[in-house]
Amino acid sequence: MSKQQGAAAAGAPLIELKHCTMEFPGVKALDNVDFTLMPGECHALVGENGAGKSTLSKCITGENHMTSGELYVKGEPIKIPAYSIRESQRRGIAIVHQEFTLMNDLTGVENIFIGRYEKKLCFVDWKKLDRRAEELMEFLQCDVNLHVPVKHLRTAERQIIQLAKAILDNPQIVIFDELTAVLQEKDIQNIYRIIDILKAQGMGIIYISHRLDEIFDCCDSYTVLCDGRYIHSGAVRDIDKPQLIRMIIGRELANTYPPVNEQLGDVILETRGLTAPKAFRDVNIHVRAGEVVGLAGLLGAGKTELVHALYGNHRITGGKILYRGQEVRIRSPKKAISYGMGLVPDERRTLGLVMTYDIKDNTTLPSLNRYRKLGVFLDHEAAAKAAYDVNEKLKLKYYSLWQNVRKLSGGNQQKIVISKWMLRDADIFLLDEPTRGIDIGAKYEIYALIHQLAQQGKAVILVSPEMDELIGLCNRIYILYEGQVMDEVEGSRKTQEVIINSLLGVKA
Amino acid sequence: MNDYKLKSKKYQGGAKTFLSDWMIAILFVVLFALCCVFSSDFRTSRNIMNILRQASFIAIIAMGEFFVILLGEMDMSISSIIGTVSIFFAGFVVELGIPVFPAMILVTLMSAVIGIINGFLVVYGKMPSFIATLVTMNVLKGFNYIYSGALPIPGLPESFNFMAAGKVGFVPFAVILMLIVTVILYVFTAHTSLGRSFFAVGGNKEAAKLSGLNVNFISIFAFVMCGILTTIGALGLTSRTLSGNVTLGDDMLFDVMTIVVLGGTSLTGGRGRIVGVVIGALFLQVITNIMVLLSINTYWQWVVKGVILVVVVLIDAKSKKD
Repeated sequence: MSKQQGAAAAGAPLIELKHCTMEFPGVKALDNVDFTLMPGECHALVGENGAGKSTLSKCITGENHMTSGELYVKGEPIKIPAYSIRESQRRGIAIVHQEFTLMNDLTGVENIFIGRYEKKLCFVDWKKLDRRAEELMEFLQCDVNLHVPVKHLRTAERQIIQLAKAILDNPQIVIFDELTAVLQEKDIQNIYRIIDILKAQGMGIIYISHRLDEIFDCCDSYTVLCDGRYIHSGAVRDIDKPQLIRMIIGRELANTYPPVNEQLGDVILETRGLTAPKAFRDVNIHVRAGEVVGLAGLLGAGKTELVHALYGNHRITGGKILYRGQEVRIRSPKKAISYGMGLVPDERRTLGLVMTYDIKDNTTLPSLNRYRKLGVFLDHEAAAKAAYDVNEKLKLKYYSLWQNVRKLSGGNQQKIVISKWMLRDADIFLLDEPTRGIDIGAKYEIYALIHQLAQQGKAVILVSPEMDELIGLCNRIYILYEGQVMDEVEGSRKTQEVIINSLLGVKA
Repeated sequence: MNDYKLKSKKYQGGAKTFLSDWMIAILFVVLFALCCVFSSDFRTSRNIMNILRQASFIAIIAMGEFFVILLGEMDMSISSIIGTVSIFFAGFVVELGIPVFPAMILVTLMSAVIGIINGFLVVYGKMPSFIATLVTMNVLKGFNYIYSGALPIPGLPESFNFMAAGKVGFVPFAVILMLIVTVILYVFTAHTSLGRSFFAVGGNKEAAKLSGLNVNFISIFAFVMCGILTTIGALGLTSRTLSGNVTLGDDMLFDVMTIVVLGGTSLTGGRGRIVGVVIGALFLQVITNIMVLLSINTYWQWVVKGVILVVVVLIDAKSKKD
């Protein structure tokens, strides 16, 4: 990883992909795409879900064999049929995935060197591994405890370990596959810093992310894909965000956020001094019919726990919950649902959907009891019709109600999680990061949907890590800091500045 | 509306989805046809009735295990429950003089309680079901032997033999019993919301909970179903010899697991169908039968059944990848 090596490679592209076409049975995932990565460059790969970003990166790492086209790594042509992940690693290509590929119960050091232990005689030389791990952390200028099982570390710290593992073999090309999707602002800054360090070494970085702001913050150039086709590439400094969005979705976005609904009704849900150990304490919040209330806070501020507590899925030790002015005890999600609540959890794959189920069954899951004939038997026909109606309203893209939900795109899956509560006629929507990991077109559809719900007089509690989203959608925003409501902003105080201060615990 | 008709049509995947859904049924037909063609002893109506009769009780037990496996759990205790039912039923009738029907209800209640215990250990004790039911299996086995002193209890009334050997017209009663249980459970799993809930909980426990299902109740209920259906099967097996026997269920667990998996039930939960389990039972019985007819000894039968289970599990694992 010496400086000279980086300088020597400068000038010639690290990766050159020409006329890349990738066909899967029935679909053309990539159609005649060109892509070039230069040394010392951070190159953003952007496009909606299903645009072909992952497929392209897999063609580069050898996980996919492209159907036709040419690939040059550091100027050398690659024989595609014989190409493999192993060979791409040997040629200096590394990928850091968003989802965790770490062994939870092993320490950071073990995770970094797993399968590549250094040995003395025939024993693992732990001292040497510790030393090398320390060097890596020094190089990345990060301070992560590498001697505890990684399950005790924060998300961001675990990702640093994944990164360290990826760059262990001195790669020259590093692919960041949606690494920042689950990170908070502060930790994303840290990733930018690391990218700068890697760039200074002459490495080329391919950066995949849904968050467009990041591209303007840390990337030098971009390539836009749409439906597997190559749209455009160029230098980031030559374009602005609206231009980029236009390229990504192929049309203009009229108004990013729908107007905030001002027709508010009575208070539907209220908490007084709600407390749960290690999560939040003394929380007083309320939400009115027709109102969208935001919950902001850093990771670990207690947002998700608070939402789950309202929903009867997190134990509370103090305080009370009032539903339309009456004190209620909500001990299970079932009870919460009977009060008209519906939760859209942050992890739609593990918490929101039953992956072995089809669209119809997922949509009707909470309201199955309503489709009955002869008292006990299910009325499948009525359930299918109801599922059809609500999913059409949400403009879900599908071909059959009996289609398994596993292969739908993130945005479409999220729509089903929301549609099941619309079908159930929920009055209070608890939305925990409803736009996490979904593409920009689908995001705006979700925004429009939240607006619609508010207009219909539903109460919405919205958790989001994106401040933009909260400011654009919410009537009021509560800001949580280490489990306490630090501030409540509305109207003219609804600005990034005020919120950031409270997020970090600085009382304005 | 036209769009609705299109989108609500089942089997849009065409022949391929249909095939993978009904693979076991097709394989069964092929196997059955092959046996008929190549063995003249096999294709007698007497032999085929025999197969049906022998498959019926184990099919009922497998349908019980089906509910547990559908949740992604496992009930090892059935082999002991079979022994418990057999020995205590015989004890109640022969030694305590309790009439047959009340004794049946008593042992059914006993198994239901065992199911509840299994369910509580798994749900509230947070024990892996493998361990929890392994424990109940051994504890029950202990009680069975303590109660019986390892000796069989003969002398059940002749009329009780009707369950295993009786006929309605030319159809064995056992087969009719199996069909009745199958129809009831089919309607339960496909056409009631409680029945459908098993699939949701098996597919994703957390999501099911957040969708308002009472996951704990459903999990415990699965073990109770398993206990009760095992009791029905065990009573049938006991009625064959008219004597209570502690070792009755000793080799059953493996066959039951094989049947459930053969029937297309996913070991990780969430997928399966009752009719598949019945076909699985028939499939395994045909294989056992043909091996007996070909004079293949019992030890080789174990080997063959083992190979079948491995192949089916491999297919299951592969189909999950697609």
